[in-house]
Amino acid sequence: MGKVYHAVVALLVASVCFAADTVPLGQMPKGKTFLVILSHHDDHTWEWGFGGFLARLTENGWTGYYVRTTNDEKDGREWGPNDQVNLKESIEAVKALGLKDVISLNWRNDHMSSVQLKEVRAQYILLIRKYRPDAVMSWNPWGHYDRNPDHRRVARAVGEAVWMAGLENVHPEHLAAGLKPHRVPVVYYSQRGDYGKGHSPNIAMEFNEAQLLKKIEAYWAHRNVRGVAASAEVKRGEMEAPSVEAGKRAGVKYAEVFYRLEEWDYLPGLRDYLAENARAK
Amino acid sequence: MKVLILLLCAVLAQAKTVLVVTADAPDFVLAAGGTIASMAASGDRVVLVRVTNDDKDSWNLSAEETASRVKEEVERAAKVLGIAQVHSLGYRAGELGGVSPTEIRDRLLFYVRLVKPDVMLIPNPYAEYVEVLDRHYTGMAAEEARRIAALENHQPPFAQAGLATHVVKELYYYAQPFDPRRREAESTATFAPQPKVVDIASSLEKKLRASQALTTVNYSMAMRIRKRLDESGRRLPLLDVVNEESVRKLVEINVRKLAEIAAKDSGYKLAEEFLYAGPDYQVPAKLR
Repeated sequence: MGKVYHAVVALLVASVCFAADTVPLGQMPKGKTFLVILSHHDDHTWEWGFGGFLARLTENGWTGYYVRTTNDEKDGREWGPNDQVNLKESIEAVKALGLKDVISLNWRNDHMSSVQLKEVRAQYILLIRKYRPDAVMSWNPWGHYDRNPDHRRVARAVGEAVWMAGLENVHPEHLAAGLKPHRVPVVYYSQRGDYGKGHSPNIAMEFNEAQLLKKIEAYWAHRNVRGVAASAEVKRGEMEAPSVEAGKRAGVKYAEVFYRLEEWDYLPGLRDYLAENARAK
Repeated sequence: MKVLILLLCAVLAQAKTVLVVTADAPDFVLAAGGTIASMAASGDRVVLVRVTNDDKDSWNLSAEETASRVKEEVERAAKVLGIAQVHSLGYRAGELGGVSPTEIRDRLLFYVRLVKPDVMLIPNPYAEYVEVLDRHYTGMAAEEARRIAALENHQPPFAQAGLATHVVKELYYYAQPFDPRRREAESTATFAPQPKVVDIASSLEKKLRASQALTTVNYSMAMRIRKRLDESGRRLPLLDVVNEESVRKLVEINVRKLAEIAAKDSGYKLAEEFLYAGPDYQVPAKLR
């Protein structure tokens, strides 16, 4: 009887834990253009990245650009050529995912803590006004315990750029060059899920087998830092395992989980009213 | 007559001095305006320090014109809430990330020692998904200023100017409800500020009027909503015509809904929610 009782309690606890770990499945955003703004050449493809989601977006007609903020000089085998080799492989990787190009800003790798955020933010604002993305993907500015200074600083600068790009009085010189203000309506933030409770995803984006294969290809395109997979199983497993784990949280085969900010989340008192009362023209 | 005088003396004896620190014009009104109005109505002396000049958020106005107008509007809003004084530090909006945190802290420290508040209301720098990072930087600086106000080795020149050390007994952290986990307990309860919900039913009207006084940012908000809807093929009947009446209505919907969100599960109908560090929060003597 005691064993049965303990088993029932264990099952209940497990079910509560599982329920707490679930993430709702998200719908595809509306739009046609996205910007992925991250710190390094390979941030978009690893297990905490956006590879499957990006492949799904481009397959659905979206145009995407990857903004590599640093020069990646520290990451790889040889300090000297790392910058160029990593950039070349980054271009290869994003093409595998269907993105159009890499825009490299070349800030010094792992030195972002010393950079004035306003300077980086100004570059992001200009790019947002140029490409007018319907969605931006980046690191979570409110993530905890991220020891990588480039991740933390890029996240902060993106967190401000996505809304400040919409204000005419922010960098009015851009307007003189014909660029118009643009507030990014939807933002997807990612963060290592094993770095404390600072980042709790609120949405899972599903992707299919073909998109998983693109994610795998993009991941392994970064040969300078990843080398060559020891076997076909290893090659697939590195990206399949986290995709399956994330998928379990939403009840689908493959997924990635993010914190998604919706278009009216910046107006918490009006969010429901706008959702209920805005209508098609 | 004697009874009235005694009552007045009793009220005055309980009256507190309150220092409100805000990064920008709308934040202190939307997150804490009702509580501020209630404090002022009960006899507390309230002083406001605004850190930025709000020069960015407007519609078809230059930064200079925006800053000038918002300054007047904040003063009008403050008057509605019963705030006795408004001080502006004048930093450009959206640029606090480039300012030395120690500089902001010490300028706020100056006001803490000058005003000698019993209570401070500051932006919660730990609130997540507050996209205006000026609020984070202001909250961090204000939290530090409150702490070091009691330590004589900080800013010795202030003492030369007659600004003595000062202990602020109560601290309210405020934020609009962006953070989905704002009601989760901290990992330790030892010194963590506790959630506090304040009933603002009696002061909502003042909060609403104060919020409506911020016409520049309100008009900007309405126009930006309409622009976004236009660009995505939608419309909001209320904003088919953006005029004083429709903007005031939009602000009313916003203020009432914010009060309902804060009141959820509290037993109140209209409220504001804070994290509160009162006298009991002070570090126990054995640990000082």
